[in-house]
Amino acid sequence: MGGELEGVVRLRRMPRAPSGQAIVEFAVVLPLFLFCLIGALDAGLWAVQTSAETSAVEQAAMVASSAGSSPTSETAPDARAVMASISGRLRSALFGTAIKSWCATDANGGCAPDSTQHCPSTPAEVQAADGPRVVVVCVSEADPPACVTPPPGQVAPYPLGCGDSPMITVRVVGFVASLVPPGFGPGAGGFELPTNISATTHTLRFAP
Amino acid sequence: MRRSRRRGDDAQAVLETALVIPILLFLICNFVAVMVQVTVQEQLNAATALAAQSRFQAPENAVDPAGSRCCGVHGATLVTAGLPTGCRYAAESFYGTMTTYTGLLHWQTATLCTSGGDSGNAANPPAKPVAYPGSPANADVSCDIGSIKPGGAVVPGYVDRTLNPPSGLDVVTCSASASLDFANTPLAWGVFWTPTLHAQAEALPPPFRQ
Repeated sequence: MGGELEGVVRLRRMPRAPSGQAIVEFAVVLPLFLFCLIGALDAGLWAVQTSAETSAVEQAAMVASSAGSSPTSETAPDARAVMASISGRLRSALFGTAIKSWCATDANGGCAPDSTQHCPSTPAEVQAADGPRVVVVCVSEADPPACVTPPPGQVAPYPLGCGDSPMITVRVVGFVASLVPPGFGPGAGGFELPTNISATTHTLRFAP
Repeated sequence: MRRSRRRGDDAQAVLETALVIPILLFLICNFVAVMVQVTVQEQLNAATALAAQSRFQAPENAVDPAGSRCCGVHGATLVTAGLPTGCRYAAESFYGTMTTYTGLLHWQTATLCTSGGDSGNAANPPAKPVAYPGSPANADVSCDIGSIKPGGAVVPGYVDRTLNPPSGLDVVTCSASASLDFANTPLAWGVFWTPTLHAQAEALPPPFRQ
């Protein structure tokens, strides 16, 4: 009996402040710890995704620049064909993100080649068209001006750059999945970060 | 007595937190900086590789006419008149690809177009490339390329003696260097180093070309 009373007295005398302090400390430290942990994870994830995109657009630019290098080819390389060559590399790195080729929607809702080759220049443009966590692979070609007879006082070739080969730009643009919660990142939908990586090269084009 | 002990515990906790939080943020800043460095290095490698490859998209004997210029992406316009057209193609590919993170980079400018570099071997001493006459010296990328002048004279490019020994192969090399500076970013709080990034790419001539 005496032992039980002693126990009750000891319990009552036990200071309650340390446990309250521990809870407050824990409540303060936990968000900081989670912020640091998730931040580090997201930075690593972002670096992996961006590196994969960079090497993919480099490879795509080489594929696209050689796509027109046959005596019979006169048209710009098809974005879908270029995307097919790099989709495996992108899919393995951009998990949680849909990857599409940029093209115009035809009457049946299918993907028709974009005759105007209007590529999105900002991730927001892709998000408005395709929704959150979507990146598009866009291939555009800038053709040189046609050569004309030079006016008096000018020398051929005229205008400057008219004999150049076309320039191909491959762009991966959109929002990739990330750990950034809604309201904290630039993505309106949350859990996404913008990306906009491009590669440009000249293409070899045979005369028809 | 008990009150003073509790006050001491509180002070210790505050001190621990004040020590740990800056260290954590310092580590996070440096981790993010390393990730940025890896990403920029990757892009620099891609831009340099595409620049070297682009040289072969121009005819071997094509020369830029008077008035030709290019790029101007990073605030500099490069006059390429009189240089091999492949030289301008290389610059256009480099600047067209190196479009992001440019605010973090301080470029080490170099001569845009050079010729005659030699990796060297036992019989041939290594040779440094020389600048093409009139080649701009304020380019962010430098390419060592050969060409054929209108009269038929061959200007040698970079000879890599490790390929096809012992005579070597006449290839194109492009290189670029820049230092990565975090001074104008929030990372400057905890990142005190300024790494120098360097990329070099070599391209072999394709079997069939113009």
